[in-house]
Amino acid sequence: MWLLPPVPSLPPIRIPVNVMETPAESPVPANPLLWLEFAVPALSFGGALLAIVLLQAGVTLDSRFPSLGCVFASITLAYLAWLRPRKDIVALSTPIYSIIFFILPSESLPGIVLQLLYAMSLTLLQVRLKHRFGQTSAAAARTAELTGPLEEYAGRVRGLPAGMTPEAAHRAAIVFLRFSQGEYRSAAETAAAGASDGTAIGRACAIVAEQAAILDKPSPRQVAPRIFFFENRPFLAKSQSGENEDRIADAALDNALLLLFAAAWIGSEADRPRLLTGRAFAEKLLEST
Amino acid sequence: MKIGKVDIKVSLVAIAVFVIFTVLLIAASISSPEVRSQLIWLIPVLFMLLVVPIALNYMSRSQYAELKPEYKREAKTVRVKLINENMIGKIVRIEGVVERVHFQFLNRPQYTIGDRSGTISVKMFTSPDENIKVNDIVEVYGQVIRRYIVTGEPVINCVSISTLKKTPAKA
Repeated sequence: MWLLPPVPSLPPIRIPVNVMETPAESPVPANPLLWLEFAVPALSFGGALLAIVLLQAGVTLDSRFPSLGCVFASITLAYLAWLRPRKDIVALSTPIYSIIFFILPSESLPGIVLQLLYAMSLTLLQVRLKHRFGQTSAAAARTAELTGPLEEYAGRVRGLPAGMTPEAAHRAAIVFLRFSQGEYRSAAETAAAGASDGTAIGRACAIVAEQAAILDKPSPRQVAPRIFFFENRPFLAKSQSGENEDRIADAALDNALLLLFAAAWIGSEADRPRLLTGRAFAEKLLEST
Repeated sequence: MKIGKVDIKVSLVAIAVFVIFTVLLIAASISSPEVRSQLIWLIPVLFMLLVVPIALNYMSRSQYAELKPEYKREAKTVRVKLINENMIGKIVRIEGVVERVHFQFLNRPQYTIGDRSGTISVKMFTSPDENIKVNDIVEVYGQVIRRYIVTGEPVINCVSISTLKKTPAKA
């Protein structure tokens, strides 16, 4: 399929500034929850430190008071875990464990040792949460921008040929969202209305219309799949090759959905809040093999 | 064991609890005359340790049996990759290979099912009709839910899981 003589690459079309945002010019947003992330070790170790100081000073105090630092640190950690789209059940359950460990009064020295060990565990869980469970939903939504590979792909798609009307961009958003919701018949009908072979977007609509119609059937069977044309290649997120028809169809569908998402994001600013609900789906499609 | 048309499967944990308390009751009866005098209510309570799990299993399996035809009628066959948060509440059918099995002994099995597009967690809140093992090719009917009911990534709340005797149909 790639044996045809190469087609000269199409020149990028300048899209008005009020539609386009250049990722390089956007400032990197600060993490507004950074103070909470530092609060976890600060509160937990702070409580233990207070207990040590009081012990050194000879002050007799119920060990449960300094251990409140660990309890509040656990609640903070659980809150940070709650904000993330992927939930960490271990971090979410730390408040329960803090109550179990510290509800009963204990002697000064063993209580301090327990607080220090618990504080270390919370700090490790905080680091694990940050690195394994990604940024918070609030941080991602607050920027209302695409990030990572999806942002990079949207940058490539900005060079789509002219002729993408606001109506076409809105239709692209509708098709993508309905497909992501599993409303395959509705997605197929909407996509069919915009299907054509003249543009990359039209071709994407045709591919989605075909695949969504297949998925809507009780026993879907893949037929010879429709794929993108050679000249659409610069706008595709993935290679269209595959060892069998199913792989080729998968790749074509992924490319079509991603192209529709990116085109809708660029061409229909009003649809961006709704497209954000499908951003995770688009990222999953982009990262899948 | 069958009650009507419903095949009952009591979990190993329930059986183990019954056996342990039976042994304890026998030992206590032998060593203490006070316990022997209370056997008239201790023995029925002991059997409740088995009867209650059986009753709960019957109720859940008969409910799932009623749901199965409805799910088979309404389900859309999808690839794992296409399941996302926007599909929460949708009834789906997937085909794939069982990669992992957890908690089967608790009658609350969790499976990791993989097809060519990815893997997904499948949770079942009762015992399945068949004994599903790793590397089995299965078809699953279920509803897309959040992992922790109100939060978490999408998983499938399974109503029916059964082995396929042939290569899975390509969706």
